[in-house]
Amino acid sequence: MPHDLILEMQGINKSFPGVEVFNNFNFDLRRGEIHCICGENGAGKSTLIKILSGAYTQDKGSISIDGKTIENMTPRLAMKLGVQTIYQEHNLYPLLNVVENLFSGNELANGIILNKLKMIEKTKEVLAFLNSTISPYDIVGQLGSGEQKTVEVARAFINKSKIMILDEPTASFSKKEIDHLLDVIKTLAKEGISIIYISHHLEEVFRIADRVTVIRDGKKINTYDIQDLNEQTLITDMVGRDVSAFYHRGKAKIGDEMFRISNMSGIGVRNASFYVREGELIGIAGMVGSGRTELAELIFGYRKSFSGEIWIRGNKVRINTPFDAISHKMCFITEDRQNSGLFLDHTIVRNAVLASYAKSRKPIALPADDIRIARKYIKQMNIITPSIFQRVKFLSGGNQQKVVLAKWFATNGDIFIFDEPTRGIDVGAKEEIYKIMTQLLADGKCIIMISSDMPELIAMSDRIMVMRDGSMVAEINENEVNEQNILRLSIGGSN
Amino acid sequence: MNYEKSVPKKANREGLLKRALHHENFTMLFVLVIIIFMVIAVEFIFTRQMRFEDVAFIKGMNISNVLMQVAVTGILAIGMTLVMLMGGIDLSIGQMMSFIGVGMAYLLKTAGWSEWSVVIAGVAAAVFCQLVMGFIISRTKLEPFIVSLGFMTIYQGFVYLITNGREITLMGKFTFLGKTYIQVTDTFRLYATVLLFILLVVIVWLVMKYTKFGRRVYAVGGNENAAYLSGVNVKNFKLLIYALNGIFVALAAMAQMSRLGTGNPLMGSGKEIDVIAAVVVGGTALSGGKGNIWGTVIGVILLGIISNALNILGVSPHYQYIMKGVLIIVAVLIGYYSGMKTKAVKKAAH
Repeated sequence: MPHDLILEMQGINKSFPGVEVFNNFNFDLRRGEIHCICGENGAGKSTLIKILSGAYTQDKGSISIDGKTIENMTPRLAMKLGVQTIYQEHNLYPLLNVVENLFSGNELANGIILNKLKMIEKTKEVLAFLNSTISPYDIVGQLGSGEQKTVEVARAFINKSKIMILDEPTASFSKKEIDHLLDVIKTLAKEGISIIYISHHLEEVFRIADRVTVIRDGKKINTYDIQDLNEQTLITDMVGRDVSAFYHRGKAKIGDEMFRISNMSGIGVRNASFYVREGELIGIAGMVGSGRTELAELIFGYRKSFSGEIWIRGNKVRINTPFDAISHKMCFITEDRQNSGLFLDHTIVRNAVLASYAKSRKPIALPADDIRIARKYIKQMNIITPSIFQRVKFLSGGNQQKVVLAKWFATNGDIFIFDEPTRGIDVGAKEEIYKIMTQLLADGKCIIMISSDMPELIAMSDRIMVMRDGSMVAEINENEVNEQNILRLSIGGSN
Repeated sequence: MNYEKSVPKKANREGLLKRALHHENFTMLFVLVIIIFMVIAVEFIFTRQMRFEDVAFIKGMNISNVLMQVAVTGILAIGMTLVMLMGGIDLSIGQMMSFIGVGMAYLLKTAGWSEWSVVIAGVAAAVFCQLVMGFIISRTKLEPFIVSLGFMTIYQGFVYLITNGREITLMGKFTFLGKTYIQVTDTFRLYATVLLFILLVVIVWLVMKYTKFGRRVYAVGGNENAAYLSGVNVKNFKLLIYALNGIFVALAAMAQMSRLGTGNPLMGSGKEIDVIAAVVVGGTALSGGKGNIWGTVIGVILLGIISNALNILGVSPHYQYIMKGVLIIVAVLIGYYSGMKTKAVKKAAH
């Protein structure tokens, strides 16, 4: 064998109800290398990590670590074998100090008495090795994002990890923090630790990778040594999902400008500007964490904006709360319908009418009117349910999403913001939701759609705005829309 | 499958019975009826000649008294139901009731205010107190449990400052709420407080059923985030609910003070526990968003009947606490298991 392989995955199959994520997926990792994995949103990167860390079990295929085949991977076993995963979100005890975080769960002790001195000594050693300025006594919650990530890396290092998986570690990092983390990772690789590094940022990939694997739709497209790879090849490999079989919508007549924002800034968003016209659907593309949801929440008054103006039909309006937004005929179908869209324990009727209450100041709401409204939109949305008094937690994902739509249709709005409208919904329900959106456009309403589903974006949008790191980096007109363009702009490749 | 159209076609009477059986208050109502029968049966056995007329529990005088006691707790429980439905809790109501009560007694007797100005001052003070607390709770992410615990202690301090630990007698003033009654039969009386309680229940029931306000209480309790995104001003809404709760506390304080004829510094102590117990026994979820006012009425009556029955049977008050506590836990357990059953049925139907 020319290379010393620490990890080998062969013929991995994994499917979830209705979706096949992996089909005959192969992957290998050499000792002491930094192996980057690239792919679009939803290409299967997270699933890969979860299989490796034992959170999911593959349906078929074998994983071998250090030459030994692992039968049933569990999170415990993964950790014992030295596979450490560092997720995008911090996974630390924010109120404890660095030492306590590093040794939580495997404290050094003499009998039952903790050996604090030794732990502190060890912490200092590791931090010095990682070239970090953090003190062992710092409270973790008070450290910056980059420093917290360093603590996580240090913890993985102390736990004698052989394979370290980093999922999007640099999201929301400053330039300096990124530089430091990449140095830390290189140091670890020199120590013989193998690293799987997942990133949306091309620049980082080219700076640290030894090899790069591109995955798309759960298939390995190719693995390259970094010296054989250029940006163009990488992007071409990442794109290429089949769009032609996708839903085709009839284009609506595009009218006057309906909605415009200029120079909106807030937490996670910098100087965003765009406009939408009647009957037009603009897509907002970007990688996860690029500030798209934050932008939608800013527009809708859910978050406070630092600056920026909102114009509706040529009139400047102030939107400070969702109530203001609803008064201006805006609707917001959120990304997380269970947490921010629905009242799961309540009936369909209750869910469907609530937003429409904000339209008038009339205090009375007769149950008969509620039922009439609910019936009307349940019929229009084709919600399948035994009764309109069914509690929504017993509905399927697609029907739940339709209840959210019914809620907003009942407000008779004009400006619809859809955040990931078809996430976690089966194919049939997806198509119905596209039909509903198409009908909205035909009625002269406008839609702002955030989506990570590339075919969906391309098929549904009239224009596409691309966001990266909180800024609107580009606008792509209909005739220039293709996957390659969107992806290049989203991950920061040059033209 | 679309069952929606086929459901109303079924025989109406069967549907009505089925709906009653599946109503969320049914289990507790059933328990209440059983307990009433059990109390009557036990007392019947213990009476000397097994004569039905000797059963003290169903004598008109006793029922009048039970209703009177239940009414004061009940008025507090209406406010607490609103607070708990929207996902909050208020531990301060007991001490606040004492505070408002002795404050009003002080104004009546020592400061010599007229009855109506005292009533207005009492309600205003209660609403103000709750606004302060509601402001803190709605504008921060502090736990209402802790904040109201703090306020509870503050009110306790005020009570002792005003009274020095002694009660303030009203000298025959302020008798309307607690001492006027309608003589229904020879022995059965309906006190004004009871009528007030019934009136308030009906008002709150109608408001919850027929107004946007009522629906929003459930929405805020069910999912605060979604409610905010659906255009409910959650912060001000919470403030409003706490302010309303203040009105109910003031009314309860007046009723209790009027009944006792004194401003007693201990008149509200421990009430918060009774009230929360009654509301929870009545089926309102501590997490909010689930429950209704009739459940609370059932809960209040249930707890009231139990202590009354134990008194009549001559059970020592020390045992009464234990039995009451056991009953609360049993009631909640019954609610929990019947809730699980309906869930299973609905899942199967789906």
